[in-house]
Amino acid sequence: MASVHLTIDGQEIVAKSGQTILQAAEAAGIDIPTLCDHPALEPIGACRMCLVEVEKQRALQPACTFQATDGMVVHTESEKVVETRKFLLELLFSERNHYCMYCQMSGDCELQDLAYRYGLDSWLYPRPYTPLPVDATRQYFVMDHNRCILCRRCIRACQEIVGNYTLGMGGRGSDSMIVADMNVPFGESSCISDGTCLQVCPTGALMDRRSAYRGHETEVEHTKSTCTACSIGCSMNVVTRDNQILRIEGDWDGAVNGGVLCVAGRFDILDDVRKRVTKPMIRRNGALEAATWDEAIDTVVGKLKAMDGDALAALASSRATNKALSRFAKVFGQLGAASVSTTKEIPAFLEEAEGSLSVLDDSDLYVVVGDDLREDHRVVGIMIQRGVMNRGARLVIIDDEPNGMDEMTIHKFGTAELDRAIDIAQRAEIPVVVYGPSAGKVLPKLREALGDKAQFVGLVPGSNARGALEAGISGTFEANGYSAAYVMAIDELVDPALLDKLSSAEFVVAQTSYMDALTERADVVLPTTMWAEKSSSSTNTEGQVQPLQASLRAPTGVKQDTEILDMLAAKLG
Amino acid sequence: MGKITLATDWLDVCSGCHMSILDIDERIVELLKYVDITSSPITDLKHPPESGVDVGILTGAVSNTHQVEAAKLMRERCKILISLGDCAVFGGICTMRNFFDKEDVLEFAYVKSMSTDAEGAVPRSPALGVLLDRVKAVDEVVKVDVHIPGCPPPADAIWYAVTELLQGRIPVLTGDNLTYE
Repeated sequence: MASVHLTIDGQEIVAKSGQTILQAAEAAGIDIPTLCDHPALEPIGACRMCLVEVEKQRALQPACTFQATDGMVVHTESEKVVETRKFLLELLFSERNHYCMYCQMSGDCELQDLAYRYGLDSWLYPRPYTPLPVDATRQYFVMDHNRCILCRRCIRACQEIVGNYTLGMGGRGSDSMIVADMNVPFGESSCISDGTCLQVCPTGALMDRRSAYRGHETEVEHTKSTCTACSIGCSMNVVTRDNQILRIEGDWDGAVNGGVLCVAGRFDILDDVRKRVTKPMIRRNGALEAATWDEAIDTVVGKLKAMDGDALAALASSRATNKALSRFAKVFGQLGAASVSTTKEIPAFLEEAEGSLSVLDDSDLYVVVGDDLREDHRVVGIMIQRGVMNRGARLVIIDDEPNGMDEMTIHKFGTAELDRAIDIAQRAEIPVVVYGPSAGKVLPKLREALGDKAQFVGLVPGSNARGALEAGISGTFEANGYSAAYVMAIDELVDPALLDKLSSAEFVVAQTSYMDALTERADVVLPTTMWAEKSSSSTNTEGQVQPLQASLRAPTGVKQDTEILDMLAAKLG
Repeated sequence: MGKITLATDWLDVCSGCHMSILDIDERIVELLKYVDITSSPITDLKHPPESGVDVGILTGAVSNTHQVEAAKLMRERCKILISLGDCAVFGGICTMRNFFDKEDVLEFAYVKSMSTDAEGAVPRSPALGVLLDRVKAVDEVVKVDVHIPGCPPPADAIWYAVTELLQGRIPVLTGDNLTYE
C-alpha cells in the first residue's frame, strides 16, 4: 500500500494512498469538524464544515472528499477557515428552526456542539420563519423538517446501508426537503422502519418517540448485548435510565449486522403491553392466587413426583439463554420427562447450522426460499436488498404466496417453476441460496442442482434455536396425550396452536414473564426474568455464540430461569 | 473610580432572565460597590435616566410597538447595550407566533381559546401597544454591543459579562457560559 506524506497544521503525517485529508487527519488525532460526514457512510461534502486551507489551492477545500497527496500542506484552523466555519454555522442557524431551548436533542446535538465550539453568540440573518411540516405518520419515530440541516445522512443511510431507497431530496435550493418516495407521508411510504436514518441524524430532526426528552447522553447508560427477536443475533446497544429502556441502537461494531437493526429488534420488542408476572401463583378454585416461592415449587415438585416421567412434556422457548437451556435439558432429562422440546417447531433440515451471513455482501445472486424476509430475519433481507440495489446483484424468490421482498425483483417463481429459478442461479458467479423454515419441499432439488456452485445459508426459526438444539432439546413436539406440561415460555408470545396440543394436560406449569393465554391455562405460574434482565449467551443461526448482557434489574420476587430450575432440581432430589 | 451605572428593561419576556440576574445571589452585595443600578422592572425607577447610563441590558424579544419604543429608548440612553437571553438575542420562544397571521393569533388568544368565555373580545384600546407583524430579536431593531444567549443565561455568565465590562473588556462567552438552553 503506497503511502503519502503531507503536512497538517505543521505536523508531518504519513497517510495511505487514496485517503482523504479528513481520514489522514483523524488517523493522526487531528480533529476537523464535520456534520454530514459519518463513519458508516460515503462522504459527500454537503455541509462544508470540514473546509480547510490547502496551500496552492485557489479556494478552501472539503477535507472529507479531497484526496491527500504527496507534499500537500494543510491548515485546519487558520483564521480564514474559522471565519468561514462561523459564517456557515450562522447561515445554518438562520435558515430553519434551530432554537435549542425546546428541542429534545439539545445537549447531544452535533450542530449545537459546533456552534458552542466556535463561540456563536448571535446570528447574521433574521430567520425566514417558513413553516415546514412535522411528519408524525410513522409509528415509532417523527421527522421534524424544521430541524433538518439537509446533511443527507438519512438519505445515504437508506441507500447505502439499508438499500431501501425510500428517502430522497425533493425541491432544490432553499426549497430542498427530505422526501419519502414520491413525496408521500412517511407512514404511507416504502419505509420499513429499520431506524438507521434515525440513528445517524445529527440534529433533532428525526426523533424517537419513546426516548425523546427522556435523557441526555450524560444521564443514560449503555449496555451492549445481542438482539433476540430472531436468530440472526444483531449486536445492539440498549440505552437505559432509572431501570427503564429508553431506546435500542444498532452497534456499528457488530460482527453480524454492522450497526443495522430492524423494526422488530429496535422498536417492536419494546412495545410489549402484557402485564408482568411478579409473584408465584397457584390456581385454587379456578383462579390464580399469589403464593410464596416455596409453596409454588412444592406444588410443582409434589405433582411431578406423583406421576410417571412418561406423562410429562417439558417445553422451552428458544428465547432462553444458553445457560438456561442447558440447565433445562439436564433437569428434565434427569426427571425422565418423555418429551423435552422447544415451544416452536424447528424443521429437521435446519437443525444443522449452515453457511455464513458474511457471504451476502459478496454475492451477485440470491435465491431466497422458504422465508419472507420482511416478516422474519429482516436484517438478512436488508443485506440482500442492498446487494441488489448497490451492487446490481440479482434476487430470485421462490414462494407460492406473495412475499414481502417481491417488489425488489422481477424473478419471482412458484415452486412449480423451480427449474427457471435454478437456470438463472446457475449463470451467476457467486450464487447464495438463503433458505428458511418453509423451504423443505424444494431444498433437496436446489441442493442437487446448485450444490457444487452455490453457498447455502440456513435461517433457523425462533431465537436461540441453535442453543436449544445444542443443549439436546428436540426441535419437534408431538402431542401425545401428556397429562402434565412444564413450559419455560419466558417472554415468548406462546402460539395458540401449542396450547391446543397441551389440551390433554391436567397440570400445566408456566415459567414465564407475562400474563397471557399460557398463564390463563396454567395451574402454577413461576415468574421469571424477561430478555433485558438476562445475562448469558445465545447462538445465532450461523452457530456463532454471542453475549447477552442484562440492561435492566428484574422486579423483586422474580427469579432467573437457572435459579428456578435449581430450586426444582434440589427438591426433586 | 466612580461607579458604573446600569439600567435594565424587559420586553416580550417570561422574566426568567431577570431571575437569572438575581441568581448571582450574594455576589450582588459585592457588585453594588462598583455598579449603580438605576432603572429596572424590579426597582422603583422604570425608565433609564435622561442623563444616560453606561450599560443597558434588554431582555425579551420585540413584539409590539411599545417594545420598539422601549428598545430605542434604552439604546439612546446607554453606551454599551447587552441583549440578554435567547429571546433578546435570537427572538426565542416569542417567535412562535411568526408562523401565524397576527389577527388570527389575537382572535385565538382573546376569543376562541378554550379558557375564554363568551364575553371574549380582542382589546383595541389606543393605550395598548400594537402587535408587530413579526416578532424580532433586539438587534433587528437597535444596534447591540454584547449578546448573551441562554434560556435563561446562567447567572455565572451574567456575572462574568458584567465583571469583564467593569474591567474595560468586551466579554467573550466560552465553555459553560455559552448556552442556548
